[in-house]
Amino acid sequence: MITIFALLVLPPIATVFAIWSSSARANQRVTLLAGIAHLLASLHCLVSQENPFPSGWWLAVDPLGGFFLTILSHTFVLVVLYSPSFLQRTQGAEYDHSKRLFYPALNFYLLANTLVLVVQQFAMLWVVLELTTFSLVPLIFFYRTKDSLEAVWKYLFLVSLGLVFVFVGVLFLGISARGVSDYTAFIVSRMTEAAPQLNPLWLKASFIFVLVGLSAKIGLAPMHPGDVDATSNAPAPVAALMAGSLRSTAVLVLLRFYQVVGRTDIQPFAQKLLIFAGLLSIAVSAIYIWRNRNYKRLLAYSSVEHLGIIALGVGIGGVALLGALLHLLFNSFGKAALFFMAGNIHRSYGSREIEAITDLQRRLPWSAFVWGLAFLYIVGTPPFGIFFSELFVLRGMIHAADWLSLSLFLALLMVIFIGMSRAMLRMLHAPSANSAPAVVDRERLNLSHALGFYAVAASVPLAIFQPPALFDSLHAILAAFGVKL
Amino acid sequence: MINVLTILFCLTLIYLAVTTRLSAYVLILVLQGALVAGVHALAFFSDFSWSHLIVAAAVLLVRTLLIPAYIVKIIRQLDMGHGDRTRRYHPGFLVQMAGVVVGAFLISHQLSRFTPVNVIPFGAAVAGIAAGGLLIVRRRLLLAHVVGFLIIENGLFLLGIGVQAQMPWMIEVAGLLDLFVLVFLMGIAINQLKSHFPEADGAELTALQD
Repeated sequence: MITIFALLVLPPIATVFAIWSSSARANQRVTLLAGIAHLLASLHCLVSQENPFPSGWWLAVDPLGGFFLTILSHTFVLVVLYSPSFLQRTQGAEYDHSKRLFYPALNFYLLANTLVLVVQQFAMLWVVLELTTFSLVPLIFFYRTKDSLEAVWKYLFLVSLGLVFVFVGVLFLGISARGVSDYTAFIVSRMTEAAPQLNPLWLKASFIFVLVGLSAKIGLAPMHPGDVDATSNAPAPVAALMAGSLRSTAVLVLLRFYQVVGRTDIQPFAQKLLIFAGLLSIAVSAIYIWRNRNYKRLLAYSSVEHLGIIALGVGIGGVALLGALLHLLFNSFGKAALFFMAGNIHRSYGSREIEAITDLQRRLPWSAFVWGLAFLYIVGTPPFGIFFSELFVLRGMIHAADWLSLSLFLALLMVIFIGMSRAMLRMLHAPSANSAPAVVDRERLNLSHALGFYAVAASVPLAIFQPPALFDSLHAILAAFGVKL
Repeated sequence: MINVLTILFCLTLIYLAVTTRLSAYVLILVLQGALVAGVHALAFFSDFSWSHLIVAAAVLLVRTLLIPAYIVKIIRQLDMGHGDRTRRYHPGFLVQMAGVVVGAFLISHQLSRFTPVNVIPFGAAVAGIAAGGLLIVRRRLLLAHVVGFLIIENGLFLLGIGVQAQMPWMIEVAGLLDLFVLVFLMGIAINQLKSHFPEADGAELTALQD
């Protein structure tokens, strides 16, 4: 009961409180409290693998849901801890309204994402997925500039169009189950049990529509532009939230459909689609990472790349699926660190252009240090977590003897590594145009650096020691997909 | 009777192609909303389930009243009432729209050979979805894009009838609420664009590029 309270009752209470209260400090404390309670409840679900909801409800937490809840609440707590410093530095009357909406929207975001992760009914999933989009609107439009308005518009429009495709997929899924099970119930577990008897033609059509539709939300090519614009124009904490948790939530919805498809004869077809979507996303991000001159867009394209790797891992299956799940977790860590530091850099330089960032190491030594570490992290350097998760994906490709995907994957990773290095190292080492730049206020170590450092470092023991609390749950997820390692 | 209503739905798509006025677009939304609600109300007489009436009433309220009224409010607020043309009339659009409708019915007919679908409602639904997409591509005004999106949603509603897939009524109503909130947010965005950036005519959201 306490778990249900923390997952589904506290976030709306915190939302209402944040709407009612005018004190930013009180709002932050209540939001943090809700976030920590949510994190503890999620960890409890992950470790115990118990479903806190009564059986027969449309809501349940299975091992897959527990894992994704942990990613959501962990990213949420990091963002709430970072938020006060962000709100403090955005001074000006033009931001007053946005600041007022910040914590209510953040709490509503937590509620909407939690609903997506616990709902076990395909049609209802579609309804609550739209709520996550709504919760982000005031957050993306925080700066109230024309660019942020355009980003909000594109995001709303493209993601909503994508969800129309998802709805068509849900309808087709229902048709595929006609005469087999009580298809009007659309319950995930019942559909999964009845999967081998579903009509393969309609199921195939359903999966195509769902994958295309969810690509807009996940940020997979070619439906990625709305997501990239929104992530790169949103404030740093919101961008971290989107890159670290929102995309994961959308991946979970895709995995729910894949759970059904994975038990049928059309699984190889779905795998090919996922591998294609993954490789296409990595290729598109490789091109744009090379061309980009805006470091926040660079990070947004890095998200496209990593979600591509995740789609690829799911498509390959076997040990690569384990790699994909770990990659989701570690990507959320790395993106939090990178976007927090990007926020510090933007505050100091007032620009998102890579060209404008010079003398970073001298001007912002702590941010530069964490930025450099996070760069090594996100390009997959050992001993950070991303290195291990990519290794699992590679192992999966070798086991599957998919040499074409393997060679393309490695070649594209190389291109991305060089492209990212060019931009990041330039920002770290480029000298100022003035021969003797005036360093006005030398940056002091603050909470944002500690959070960034923690996010990067925490992945190392998780990846190396593989704690049973996490990996038992991951193995239970793999078993649900028919994978035994 | 369902066939008559869905054919009328297709005729509204043809009207969509020959008009360029925003007020006519709103009228099309009202007509389509009433037709879709009618289709749901008809289901009540064959099934006698109260859920059909609840959904029909919700559709009527949201699609023919709330959303069109809100769009009219935006048009008035932004002073788009006079000279409200989305762009100059182009006969090519009518040809494309006719092609979309004919193509949708051909697809529906072919599909009905090997799977149980209602040819006319399914064809009208596919035509609605494709026509909404066509409107978004062909018209540059943001409000026309919202109308295009709503026409896609109307087509989607008919698709459920066409493939004989019944959703639980709670989900139908929740979907309608989602749709209303979405249109509301899009309206706010258009309002913000006009009030904060009066130089923009709603067709200039092209600044974010790589």
